[in-house]
Amino acid sequence: MVNGSEVDFGIGTEEHQVPPSETLADTLRERLGLTGTKVTCDNGACGTCTVLMDGKAVLSCMTLTVECGGRRVVTIEGLRDPLTGALDPIQQAFIDEGAFQCGFCTPGIIMSAKALLLENGAPTEEEVKEGLSGNFCRCITHYQVVRAVMAAAQGGE
Amino acid sequence: MRNFEHLQATSIAGAVAALTRFGGKARLNAGGTDLFGLLKDQYLPGFPDSIINIKGIQGLDAIGEERGTVTVGALAKLSELSRSHLLAERFPALVQAAGAVASPQIRNVATVGGNLCQDVRCAYYRYPSHVGGAIGCARKGNGPCLAVRGDNRYHAVLGGRKCYAVCPSDTAVALAALDASLVVAGPEGERRIGVAEFYTPLGNRLERGEMVVRIEIPTSSLPHQRFAKFALRRPIDFAIVSVAVAASVTDGVCTEARIALGAVAPGPVRAGEAESFLRGKRLTPEHATRAAELALSGAKPLSRNGYKVAIAKTLVKRALLGEAAGGAGEYADVGLDR
Repeated sequence: MVNGSEVDFGIGTEEHQVPPSETLADTLRERLGLTGTKVTCDNGACGTCTVLMDGKAVLSCMTLTVECGGRRVVTIEGLRDPLTGALDPIQQAFIDEGAFQCGFCTPGIIMSAKALLLENGAPTEEEVKEGLSGNFCRCITHYQVVRAVMAAAQGGE
Repeated sequence: MRNFEHLQATSIAGAVAALTRFGGKARLNAGGTDLFGLLKDQYLPGFPDSIINIKGIQGLDAIGEERGTVTVGALAKLSELSRSHLLAERFPALVQAAGAVASPQIRNVATVGGNLCQDVRCAYYRYPSHVGGAIGCARKGNGPCLAVRGDNRYHAVLGGRKCYAVCPSDTAVALAALDASLVVAGPEGERRIGVAEFYTPLGNRLERGEMVVRIEIPTSSLPHQRFAKFALRRPIDFAIVSVAVAASVTDGVCTEARIALGAVAPGPVRAGEAESFLRGKRLTPEHATRAAELALSGAKPLSRNGYKVAIAKTLVKRALLGEAAGGAGEYADVGLDR
């Protein structure tokens, strides 16, 4: 399941099949066109490829698609309300607080924030910082990001 | 990534049989966070024919206690170790070490077995093949250790031989201080190896076809525990030096102390001399300083890593004195700014 829809691939090296070595990040971006998920270091160190798997933040560049059978994956595209199109409160808070500059790392940060708020609806500032510690931003948006996540958490109460 | 055959193991026996069948050309995949570095950068000669997914082995992630021993399954994720009430109560140093690894996303998938078996981080050893070709070295059996005459800032100050890369595992350091053992399954059945004895200068004691299945920690352990890690950034970075201390202190007097040093040698190192020195002593700053000196007395730094000795001494001292103040279990985040 990706963003609530059933996705089914054959495994193999033929055309339209997913080879065993394909990462989830590549499948999301190249096969499903979900290019909101970014790949930067491709080595598990930067957090831009973060997606939710069964509600937990994981790195899609360090996940084999072949091992995702039966799992629920949510990407940045899957956060908005499918019926009304309304943004997730975290996305709205990022806009309201101006919590991005170039925006490349933002989808990964928002997915980490989503995982954090799913587990802990009222985090302290320290917990937000810890929850987002695996996401790097070169534009130094961290202050606004922490404000946005705190605002989203408080708005949700 | 180059392609490979992908196998699902549903039992330990199945994983061991597959490992044996592929005769060294197969790799186990649990969290994958270390394995993917190898697959993407291809820093070792040859490429695995087969990746064996062991995440489907039922029950291998269990954390439980039975007759004086706490057992942690090899597939227990680092985030599960951080959240375990049983471990928090019995082994705070292990909980702190698990929580000090990498980032939340990595701790959500990385397993304790993988953390213990991960490959070293030496930049020569891990140099990617797609940037001008992988580099031969002593660890790969095709050259000298380039760190000896090159950049050895992050290499061993103790116990290096042929290869001077250090064991990067945080949990191994806590487990060594807790006298834990690894249970390894192979074609011949199971065997036990002490965590501190598991590592060798060129790798670890796993034989072909063997895999770590669980960790056993004796509960006779000591109530005052602390894990301290020095890294330039708290998230993601591997330890430059780490220290785990487990002690029992009665009326300010140390009745038993165990000290393990990490990221200074091919494996976690127990500081035996410092441990015997502390027995029966008050945990004063003077005694802690003396213990730190003894713990590093055998250090032989390379050209550019003498600074690690100073950091290691400071961590030993702070970890010990943190205990004297009665505080068990605080994650010691020792940044450069303190």
